[in-house]
Amino acid sequence: MELEQTMNSTADRQFNNLLLSKKALRFQRMSAFVGKTFLLAITSLSSVAVLFIFYFITKDALPFFFNEGLGEFFTSTNWYPSADEPNFGALSIFMGSGLVTLGAIVVAVPLGISAAVCMSDVLPFEVRQVVKPITEVLAAIPSVAYGFFALVVFAPALQNDGNFLLSLSAWIILVPVSFLAVVVLGDVVADRFEEKYYNYIRYGIFVSGGLISLFCLLKTHTFLNSLEITSGTNALNVSIILGIMALPTIISVSEDALQACGRELREGSYALGATRVETIFKTVIPASISGILAAIILGVMRAIGETMVVWMASGNAAQIPKPWYNYLDPVRTLTATIAGDMGEADHVTGSSRYHVLFAMALCLLVFSFCANLFSEWIVHRQQKKLGLAK
Amino acid sequence: MKLSTRKLLDKSFTGYGIFAIILMACALLLIIVPIATKGIQAFIFRGTIEYRKLRLEKFEEGNLKKVNAELKGSQELRKPIYDMIDQFEKDIRELEYEERREYRKELREVKKSLKELFGPAPGDHQPVLWREQYGQTRWDRAKIKIDQVLFFEEWDYSNPDKMGVKVLVDRKSLFKGTSLEPLFAYVEKHAQSILQPKLVFYWRFLFDESFDAHFFGGIWPEVLGTLYLTLGAMFFAIPMGIIAAIYLTEYAGRGLFISLLRSCISTLAGVPSIVFGLFGLAFFINSVKVSESKSVLAGSLTLALLILPTVIRASEEAIRAVPKTYKEAALSLGAGKWHTVLTVILPAALPGILTGIVISMGRAAGETAPIIFTAAVSVGKPLHFWETLSQPTPALPWNIYNLCTEHEAVDEIRHVQYGMVLTLVALVLILNLAAIILRARISKKLKG
Repeated sequence: MELEQTMNSTADRQFNNLLLSKKALRFQRMSAFVGKTFLLAITSLSSVAVLFIFYFITKDALPFFFNEGLGEFFTSTNWYPSADEPNFGALSIFMGSGLVTLGAIVVAVPLGISAAVCMSDVLPFEVRQVVKPITEVLAAIPSVAYGFFALVVFAPALQNDGNFLLSLSAWIILVPVSFLAVVVLGDVVADRFEEKYYNYIRYGIFVSGGLISLFCLLKTHTFLNSLEITSGTNALNVSIILGIMALPTIISVSEDALQACGRELREGSYALGATRVETIFKTVIPASISGILAAIILGVMRAIGETMVVWMASGNAAQIPKPWYNYLDPVRTLTATIAGDMGEADHVTGSSRYHVLFAMALCLLVFSFCANLFSEWIVHRQQKKLGLAK
Repeated sequence: MKLSTRKLLDKSFTGYGIFAIILMACALLLIIVPIATKGIQAFIFRGTIEYRKLRLEKFEEGNLKKVNAELKGSQELRKPIYDMIDQFEKDIRELEYEERREYRKELREVKKSLKELFGPAPGDHQPVLWREQYGQTRWDRAKIKIDQVLFFEEWDYSNPDKMGVKVLVDRKSLFKGTSLEPLFAYVEKHAQSILQPKLVFYWRFLFDESFDAHFFGGIWPEVLGTLYLTLGAMFFAIPMGIIAAIYLTEYAGRGLFISLLRSCISTLAGVPSIVFGLFGLAFFINSVKVSESKSVLAGSLTLALLILPTVIRASEEAIRAVPKTYKEAALSLGAGKWHTVLTVILPAALPGILTGIVISMGRAAGETAPIIFTAAVSVGKPLHFWETLSQPTPALPWNIYNLCTEHEAVDEIRHVQYGMVLTLVALVLILNLAAIILRARISKKLKG
């Protein structure tokens, strides 16, 4: 009897040893809570940083708007910040940023998206493993190295042999494009007539279309050769370099989007007898259009926020090119103005000249914020559509 | 449409895609090749006797006896040049005033270009600037200067419809029939034996300080400044980034607050780099006053903010990639959550996190815009470690900009600029290569 009791009590004691006392339990919960709060605090620091950026940029931008008003800043092209009666008309600078970004997009989007399609749908796996690092290296090269290349290598080349380079690229682009256009046109038009005339009409269109496009090409050639390139540091130079810089972003994001839309869609399209290009254009790209849009937006953000290349190679002339689409004129962008003027304005901290730069930064910040929200919304919508939303 | 046309379209689209990729590769080559080939010339080049003299006198390097023997030979060959000039000066004293004045003017030009090529003539007073104390130290620059002795430039405006054309005129023609005429043939013939170019491997380009506004010496202050800035940025960004990633993957729920947090982080990733620079100036320097003016500390903090989203994203992905079974096994053995994270998940995710860190290190090293207002100066000494808290520093990206746009003799120091660009690009590419290799090893490990 007594023996049994002692055995029982040892078992009890052993069981109690496995449980934590109430005090220890509370301590553990407390420490878990404290730890978690600590983690949360550190994590929130990074988002507090965003709020701080907004706050401090706005704080230094507002005095400018109060003192000088909004009207001149956004509508005038008189940019004389260091004159005795300073003018802060930044329209030409906004225009410069816009032009350069547009140029970069024209260069980067067709190349980037076709490269992404090629990487996700055409190339075999082994080749893709080689191409991927190329885009990564392009993304990794520092912007100042791109700027150095644009200023020291590309600008002199553009100035000395610009006409030749331009007409060469025109030939490379236009010859295949016009050839394809003529072939497709001949095929489509000839299809509408009877079988008898098919070949006559087709070849008729081939010959006449070929002659017309050859004529246009020669006209373009003489036009490009007659252009006078006075300086290599101009909007065209910067647009091409920025386009190359935006390529990796566009390729990687749109490739992800193309991959995400799945095998079944493609197989369905192939089963219906579509060729690869028809599958891509009629099925894959419409299905992943939102991801591709997001990629383009990210590319735009990269181009508009870039400082060093435009500062070094855009010519920095605060003027609207004449006519406005003349890419051979020098331009000046928001980022380059901030970088270039702050050195002089910093000595007079508190003047309008100092605050106007913050006003420009605020415009950049608001733009990138909106673009970011928009692209996030687009990606989210696509994920929902494809049933991937978390 | 006919089937053949459809097939043609299909083929041509494939061709276009491949063309785009090839174009991209060509662009990469086009950018890398000139930087690499010309950048390497900052390290390996043909140095003249003047270079060896400079190393001996200013850096106390090289064999004194050998260089002196070479100098002696060189000076003997130079003597006839200066003799000819003396003789010519004597000759023109007897000429008419007008003619004499004309010759004097031209002679001054010749003397100036000779001085640039060979250094100050014997008997001249010693100039202050290093670049005037010595002749051309590099044979590639010397060849250009020899041309400047032999020829001079003139602008030809004879065709009024076109812009002026540059024409080279033989300087010899100016001194026809005088005692100076043989000088030009002599210089052309003997320049190489006077300057005695020899192949030099100047590896100390990386570790020498720069002298006389980067005309001589190396880029050590810039390299060191970049290292300080990058390491400083990583020092702040790594702990914060990893902790945030752990919280977001392991602890965070799905509330409104968390999705707001995520939006903030992705907004931070999209802020233009120049805005970070302005923020660093307005916040770290003007408001918090981490230092009196620009300093490495303020620059590092700004850069840390810039790369924080990259670090967070990479670490998050790496942590998510750890198989769930690892975590479940640890939890079933009775480990607490925190214990699991520290001892199981983090070690498993470490290679992935490292990849992200290495890539963002490359980004921090190459960014220029954020450090313009917060950390970078054009000229400076290499800093000691404790000075980084209060002193600004030269840094590779900023000095590349500065040397190729604002330097007083941009063309004379192209090799230094290319050398700097090569150093920076090599640094960034090595970091990225390390990341690529690291990632390949991880994916192998996860497969096998």
